[in-house]
Amino acid sequence: MERTGKVVVEKVGGKSTVTRCFSKYPLKFIVPSKVGPCKIDSVWIYSLTYGGGIVSGDSISCEFEIGDGCTTVFTTQASTKVYKSVGSKCSAQFLEFGSNALLAILPDPVTCFSTARYSQKQVFRVLLDSNLVIVDWFTSGRHESGEKWDFDLYKSTNNIFLNDNQPLFLDTVLLEQQSISPINERMRDYQVIAMIILLGPKLKHIQSEVQENVKRMMSEQLHMPFSGINGRAQSNSRHFTKPPFLASCSVFGPKVFFSCFHDTIDMVI
Amino acid sequence: MESKKEIDGAKEGTASMTSSLQWSQWQLIDSILPTGGFAHSFGIEAAIQARVILNPEDFQTYVIHVLENTGSLLLPYVCSAAMCPDLDNWRKLDRMLDATLTNEVSRKASVSQGSALMRVAAAVFTEIPSLKTMREMSLGSDMAAFHHAPVFGIVCGLLGMDSETSQRAYMFITLRDAFSAATRLNLVGPLGAAVLQHQVSIAAETMLKRWMNREVEDACQTAPLLDTLQGCHGYLFSRLFSS
Repeated sequence: MERTGKVVVEKVGGKSTVTRCFSKYPLKFIVPSKVGPCKIDSVWIYSLTYGGGIVSGDSISCEFEIGDGCTTVFTTQASTKVYKSVGSKCSAQFLEFGSNALLAILPDPVTCFSTARYSQKQVFRVLLDSNLVIVDWFTSGRHESGEKWDFDLYKSTNNIFLNDNQPLFLDTVLLEQQSISPINERMRDYQVIAMIILLGPKLKHIQSEVQENVKRMMSEQLHMPFSGINGRAQSNSRHFTKPPFLASCSVFGPKVFFSCFHDTIDMVI
Repeated sequence: MESKKEIDGAKEGTASMTSSLQWSQWQLIDSILPTGGFAHSFGIEAAIQARVILNPEDFQTYVIHVLENTGSLLLPYVCSAAMCPDLDNWRKLDRMLDATLTNEVSRKASVSQGSALMRVAAAVFTEIPSLKTMREMSLGSDMAAFHHAPVFGIVCGLLGMDSETSQRAYMFITLRDAFSAATRLNLVGPLGAAVLQHQVSIAAETMLKRWMNREVEDACQTAPLLDTLQGCHGYLFSRLFSS
């Protein structure tokens, strides 16, 4: 795939600085100079797509290099919209990171319109002391227009390799409409899916906090439905309705992986 | 004259090999084989307590999603292990699957079932000494996690099962264990479970055809809700199953 973007972040004069920033259609990077508080050393990179979304046939491939001790946040200006697909072409994003510092990827969610086809792949190559926060999330579609899980294809891959080639975390989600069961049946009224990965020594306290919170929240939500399973379920009874929020948190090697579902789009993580 | 005897002899040899393979195959997929499959519910117990499964119809839908996810995520490992059941390939598959089973609950379930299966297979199928040696060379230290799907594939491959049958067998034991869990959780009665299992097997074959013979690099999850539900198993206050 032809490269459409490259960003290099290095320490210059003791501060995390973008020393190289190249992007071409359909991708554009914006690196505002004043985002976080000035006492905190970090660089914020915003990624935009021309026209506010990804159209059929677009392909994006970019490479990121985060230098020693640097802190970088990579985010989007608004949710990534994937428009409908004509002739079954795929829109794709490919990002590769080399990191031995702290990189936080905090995009807005991906929203696929009806019949859209979208795939993205993010490959991270890290070292033992790298710190990564990855948020990968997507919604059911244009909710207000009644499009719920109406897209044709969504595929997202997040692969993390340690010291170049040792697989640490390999995850691919594939949702295809042409399958034995329609996507909305697999989603059971939930409208948002999010996955968060917290990796690295600098994030230990957040990892513990997330684990505790998820355990507490879910323990309150999970219980046997009342009056037995074989009895008639009264769908309006609180005891038989699904929790509005489902989450689970797993420790994985040196990191924590947290995935959750929510039944409304206006959720705040 | 002589050549006909040779052909007949060869045919008989093949027939008896096929018959003895069938005995081993059936023993491998029989639920009485002590691999601890009965301790795992594929997230069904968590799904009941999350009120995602409220009745047998919900369960039927759920089990189809479990089968599809098994197909998309795990069949590539069974396939590769069955086609190439040597130590190097097995260790590579085991490492990759360890990085892929990101959900702690399903990862532990896979390791516990895989370890048990390797131990049982090495003890039972003594005509295949490589099972014992592969196991012994990988015990202790961090040589292998003994994940279930690759171990199952290795055993099938070394027994002489073809790749398609091995993958079908893996789908079968998933179906078998899911229904066993549902029966013990009182979702269905034993007869109802048997009837439903036969109906679902038609869908299972369709899913097998869709997902078989793929590369491990293409392994993916198709039912993320299941993954989260299974991951919730550890938060259940009272539970029957380990996962």
